[in-house]
Amino acid sequence: MENKVLKEQVEKLATSVNGEVEEILGELVLKVQASNIIETLKGAKSFPNFPCDFLHDLCGMDLVDHLETVYQLSSLRGPQRLRVKAIIDRENPVIDSVTSIWQGSNFLEREAYDMFGIKFKGHPNLKRIYMWDDFEGYPLRKDYVTEPIEVRNIVRTRIEGE
Amino acid sequence: MTIENTEELLLNMGPQHPSMHGLFRMVVNLEGETVTKIEPKIGYLHRGMEKLAESRTYAQFIPYTDRLDYLASPHNNWAYVQTVEKLMGVEIPERAEYLRVIFGELARIASHQVCIASTALDMAGWSAWSYAFRDRERICDMYEMTAGSRLTVNIMRIGGIIEPPAEFWPALKSFLDDTPEMLDEYNGIFFGNEIAQGRLKSVGILTKELAENLSITGPVLRASGVNYDVRKAEPYSIYDRFDFNVPVRYGCDSYDRTIIRMDEIVESIKIIKQAVRDIPEGPVMAKVPKVIKPPVGEVYHRVENPKGELGFYIVSDGTTKPARVRIRPATFINLQMLPIVSLGWKIQDVVAIFATLDAVLGEVDK
Repeated sequence: MENKVLKEQVEKLATSVNGEVEEILGELVLKVQASNIIETLKGAKSFPNFPCDFLHDLCGMDLVDHLETVYQLSSLRGPQRLRVKAIIDRENPVIDSVTSIWQGSNFLEREAYDMFGIKFKGHPNLKRIYMWDDFEGYPLRKDYVTEPIEVRNIVRTRIEGE
Repeated sequence: MTIENTEELLLNMGPQHPSMHGLFRMVVNLEGETVTKIEPKIGYLHRGMEKLAESRTYAQFIPYTDRLDYLASPHNNWAYVQTVEKLMGVEIPERAEYLRVIFGELARIASHQVCIASTALDMAGWSAWSYAFRDRERICDMYEMTAGSRLTVNIMRIGGIIEPPAEFWPALKSFLDDTPEMLDEYNGIFFGNEIAQGRLKSVGILTKELAENLSITGPVLRASGVNYDVRKAEPYSIYDRFDFNVPVRYGCDSYDRTIIRMDEIVESIKIIKQAVRDIPEGPVMAKVPKVIKPPVGEVYHRVENPKGELGFYIVSDGTTKPARVRIRPATFINLQMLPIVSLGWKIQDVVAIFATLDAVLGEVDK
């Protein structure tokens, strides 16, 4: 019942931001292009009756031909849940930061940048969070080559007399 | 006499500082003793759990989840196996659900005891620390009887749980009987202590609006006056069968963030007592295929970890290994309040504020 009302609102939002709605295992998923993300999330936050105003999680995802950021939205005052996915170009991974809407996305966006190389436009402090600053590559991308242990040992052995 | 030519001091706390609860480091800008800026630096314990998960089968990843929030490892197992079960559509036996609730709530008590103890220790209260750790030992003994290990318990399986031995039940009963006395002792030695109250009360105010905006969950959110608990808001497992309250406090300060954990211990004991009363006989494992191969799909599932909301987002591509496992750590997100609420407080208050967050760096760093 509630799901139906929410679904109508999500579908209405989808037409205005040019996205598509699907239902995966009983949960609503809204897929949009990266350029529309701010508009989409602001729209979801201000749904009448069922505002999806709490950001649970933000994570990156690598689907080989493109990247995605996934936003898990819900509310502290209702049962509504919505998952928003933004499709990002793999060659030029840029998306608007949502720190202006939820301050809590600060660390999460830094993590997505660290692990997937997604650049968040407008983020106040976009630096690597887990890896050190001069680390090269983005570890959670599917094409990231984890170094074999033999190679690692060779790099680490010291030349005698050094 | 006025002091001229003052200079801002840059202080590096951690990662090996005893009050940093693991390997946490922060760079603090100080004006005298007053904090003007904090920059948390994390990643010293980063093991790349999400990457490891992609090269392991679904069952092989369960022991890794123990090492997330290692003070409440049954909860991490629980969140993970429930997500996989949801993905596969497995129903688990009644007895297993009850056992999961019992172990989950025991883990919540143990974790909160550590939080109270370490907060006391950071306020230089050595005796309170030893009292809480003494009582936590009994929960660790119960873990040991059942699973063989005391910290990284690894008790749950996809489709069920380990059956505890016969001596578990008397140990649990005597523990439950002694808890009111334990709580009185903590109240007397720590929460009633004038120094502890002076150090914690009205320190580090986290308002309701800020907490919601920062995506804060768990006891920290509830101490800011928001009545939100995943066990009530979206009952998973069998939590809808139990009669318990969600403790909420309105002080928004460090004292309420600590003492709310006492209230939660009381509620957890209530739940365990009901679960022990109602637990049915029967099998503890569902019939699960030997090779776990969930259908193509994705699930985001969350549970109420002692520290906040722990979520798993698993994407399956139909093979034996997950395509993506995303862990939503509770304290990683809760930690974002530290640089904001600590501004203007003294350096020793930052230690207090950080202690009340109950951060476990295994979970923060993944």
